[in-house]
Amino acid sequence: MSMRELVTGGAACAVPGSSSSSSNPLGALANALIGSSSKTQERLREIPNAAAPTSDTQFYSQVDDSVAALPGSELDRPFLHSNAQGSDFIRGLRSFDDNGLADAWEEIQRQPHLDHLYDPAAAPIQPTLDGPPQRVLSSFLHSFVDSSRSGIPLHPTPLPLLGLSQGDKQCIRDRSSIMARHFFADKSEDFINAQVNALLSSLEIENDVRARGPVPGRFRELEDYWNESQGILKPGARSADGWVTEFSQYTAQHGDTNAWVRSFEQQHGASSWASEFEQEQAQLTSIDHLNGGDVANLAAIEQTRMLAHTLSQNDDPKFQNSKFLQFLSKMSRGELIIDDNQVKPASGSWATEYQQQYNGGGTWADEFVHNEVFRGPDQWVNEFATERERHEQADDQWVNEFSKLHVDDWVEEFGHQVGEGILGDTSSDNWANAYDEFLNEQVAAKQRSDASSGVYVFSDMNPYVGHPNPLKEGQELFRKGLLSEAVLALEAEVMKNPENAEGWRLLGITHAENDDDQQAIAAMMRAQEADPTNLEVLLALGVSHTNELEQAAALKYLYGWLQHHPKYGTLAPPELGDSLYYADVARLFNEAAQMSPEDADVHIVLGVLYNLSREYDKAIASFKTALKLKPNDYSLWNKLGATQANSVQSADAILAYQQALDLKPNYVRAWANMGISYANQGLYEQSIRYYVRALAMNPKADNAWQYLRISLSCASRNDMLEPCDSRNLELLQKEFPL
Amino acid sequence: MPVFKTPFNGYSVRFSPFYESRLAVATAQNFGILGNGRVHVIDLSPTSPTINELIAYDTADGVYDVAWSESHDSVLVAAIADGSVKVYDTALPPQSNPLRSFKEHAREVHGLDYNPTRRDSFLSASWDDSVKLWTLDRPASLRTFREHAYCVYSVAWNPKHADIFASASGDCTVRIWDVREPGSTMIIPGHEHEILSCDWNKYDDCLIASASVDKSIRIWDVRNYRVPLSVLNGHGYAIRKIKFSPHKRNLIVSCSYDMTVCLWDFMVEDALVGRHDHHTEFVVGVDLSVLVDGLMASTGWDELVYVWQQGMDPRAV
Repeated sequence: MSMRELVTGGAACAVPGSSSSSSNPLGALANALIGSSSKTQERLREIPNAAAPTSDTQFYSQVDDSVAALPGSELDRPFLHSNAQGSDFIRGLRSFDDNGLADAWEEIQRQPHLDHLYDPAAAPIQPTLDGPPQRVLSSFLHSFVDSSRSGIPLHPTPLPLLGLSQGDKQCIRDRSSIMARHFFADKSEDFINAQVNALLSSLEIENDVRARGPVPGRFRELEDYWNESQGILKPGARSADGWVTEFSQYTAQHGDTNAWVRSFEQQHGASSWASEFEQEQAQLTSIDHLNGGDVANLAAIEQTRMLAHTLSQNDDPKFQNSKFLQFLSKMSRGELIIDDNQVKPASGSWATEYQQQYNGGGTWADEFVHNEVFRGPDQWVNEFATERERHEQADDQWVNEFSKLHVDDWVEEFGHQVGEGILGDTSSDNWANAYDEFLNEQVAAKQRSDASSGVYVFSDMNPYVGHPNPLKEGQELFRKGLLSEAVLALEAEVMKNPENAEGWRLLGITHAENDDDQQAIAAMMRAQEADPTNLEVLLALGVSHTNELEQAAALKYLYGWLQHHPKYGTLAPPELGDSLYYADVARLFNEAAQMSPEDADVHIVLGVLYNLSREYDKAIASFKTALKLKPNDYSLWNKLGATQANSVQSADAILAYQQALDLKPNYVRAWANMGISYANQGLYEQSIRYYVRALAMNPKADNAWQYLRISLSCASRNDMLEPCDSRNLELLQKEFPL
Repeated sequence: MPVFKTPFNGYSVRFSPFYESRLAVATAQNFGILGNGRVHVIDLSPTSPTINELIAYDTADGVYDVAWSESHDSVLVAAIADGSVKVYDTALPPQSNPLRSFKEHAREVHGLDYNPTRRDSFLSASWDDSVKLWTLDRPASLRTFREHAYCVYSVAWNPKHADIFASASGDCTVRIWDVREPGSTMIIPGHEHEILSCDWNKYDDCLIASASVDKSIRIWDVRNYRVPLSVLNGHGYAIRKIKFSPHKRNLIVSCSYDMTVCLWDFMVEDALVGRHDHHTEFVVGVDLSVLVDGLMASTGWDELVYVWQQGMDPRAV
């Protein structure tokens, strides 16, 4: 039992007959002291104002009497003597003058939180209420929802980071569960659960914990469904299910759920039942999630299809157009996902990766199903249930015993049982082995997908094939800023000389500047194959992987840069290469920067690294230092701009992009980035012009097309969506001249 | 008739009991699933069919409901999704707001009702299954009513008896309470599905209406609640909110996830007397003016607030 419950007299402390704990002044004191808000920050900001001088006095002074006369107010009854302290507190509060009250409140609010264990990361959603990140999240979600085309890969990188905290995820989970029961009124509970599961799995939110489950009384069939739908594919959730099964069995045996609930309520108070159940589930499933999370996705995909289907069944055009329903369905179909705390549309490569993981997962699941090992947890549950039954045959006994157990003890006991191998050592070992195998499968699948995404795709119909010196031609074109032409020339070069690292490198750089990171990475990987120690190649690969949010890969290449650098190579201990941690790599580069503060490259890498860890202020400082040393590096200006945009300084970012464009007018990526910055500021009309300009230079920049589409719908230019979809640049350029 | 665009999805709209042209609107970002919230106080322009914003208050979580104080013309309370109830005074400078933040509910606060007869207290209904009674001067709630077994979505004071109120819950019951009594005094197992809203008839203090996910509105006489007095069918999806008219005994207005606002006369055979489909998303907030006969307002997830006179088209300019 938590400290809070002890003090407030909630849960098991409740005095029988007292209808609520919060009316108990001691409880009120505890509430005030311990705080029940998950948003302390916000309250800190507000509460001092609570002593607002003017109308306050006339407004609040008079009320005392009338409240005392309010019938039914529990405060007008004599306090129990044990509550004397509490009533003193209330009296004390009231006897204060305005300032005193404010001080008291402030004092109270500064007390540390004790009931915040579940979610240490929860903070106010966004420090700025209507700041750009929040707006970007909304307009991004809404506009993407608008999009009629589905599953178009969209480049997530330039979006400001929209981290969803654990608390946010819990909100999404709980609220969507409750709301879904209103929207899908016609559907069965099974169906509703499937919808919610699909939604949450796609959002990568743990849906094992149904904090707000269905209406009591329907528990039985729901739990059955739950076991059926989740249990089969989710070995991890077994232990939690066991509890549930046990509960269902109990109900089955004794018929009357309510009796159980009632007696439990008598022990605990009504709401504590729910919260205790939640806590237990939360604690149990936090373990489970480790194992169950990935497999849960397997179940999700089937369910999502069902959802999409149902949503499309209502032929009322209003429903077809409902942004909300589209939003739900997008999320459920996995077209919007949360990856590494970012809301982003699922990209094409994500899909393939998913597919591949699937294949891996499938074999694993098969193996698991066919394997005897799988029975381990099953048996355990049965064993547990029968054991329990033996122990607690009489109703009251069961309830009593259960209520005597503190929640934590229960979980601990559970932990012990597992730890001490009640399952039998062999079965748990086997289980662990199987899990390891599963992990290996996954790693293999991931590698396969990496490889497939790293294949360079050549253009057809290349006029430069047969050119006497395509490399020279390519370099020339690149210098002139004719990037799409340069790509063709350089492709001709590397087709002729596949081992030409410089050809591949320049091809990669050209693609990167042309806003095509996938091709850039593919080309750079070929360059690295040809020349594994080329520093520029390693740096470029590090940057591209950072753009793609692939931290591990990015770290590998950035570390490689350091390792192969003639000056800093000594700093890099070779044994580190096996297991790279961000902190280590960052430390090494800081050392390098101290060693030679005049080396712009080190500052550039540091800036990239800080982008990786989302320390944008530091990243900006690093890039600015590098720019002092290399003021004419247009790509550096672009990096600065992108970082500023990520840290929600879109206005500054535009200045930086402008610098880059002054140095290199045909820098497609900077044009596109410029558009993104304008869009982030809500200047959609402006952003459209920049996207169109970027696309005029490189019509193959798929991301820019996608951005353009979003901006068009945000700017309510639905009339231009068709030209956008048909990629009619001529019309777009005419409509949106820069 | 005038329209007001809110940046977030509308959740609730309420007419001021003091000024006939003033309304408060509760809104939440991302359909109330995640994000910030805002309370708007808006005024109908006396001369032109437009709505002007008087002031807006931002919150760090969605706002699900608002209620005007019945005793102070500038004070309103807001139900916040983070479980808090916040008090705003439009007469105070913005930096002094919110005047109070009551944080006791463990979960989203979904409904509020200010006592119209005593005028000194209000109720909050929460997804933590409880209803709480508050006054503005106390740091803690006066009472907590904990009997419902699932989310409580709405509460409504009886218009005549100052201590009686009703609560509508997802546990498929409406409960009637007397704040002088420790527990509920009546349980109406009104529907087979969740009940999202309830309201008392303003002329007959024994009549109560409930609205459910089962798409029906049922009228009950608390003196004989075994069978409903009347069942109103016609909505195509769950009904989100209902209000009895303060001016016409038999008139009920309702709004629904079927994206319509409906008007009903529960005493006649063809009860459905009006249907407005001006919203393009779920309609979740509806209210009738106490001061102007027939003036009504609605808000929904299409981020629009409509105010119109009964009998007119909300969209007509």
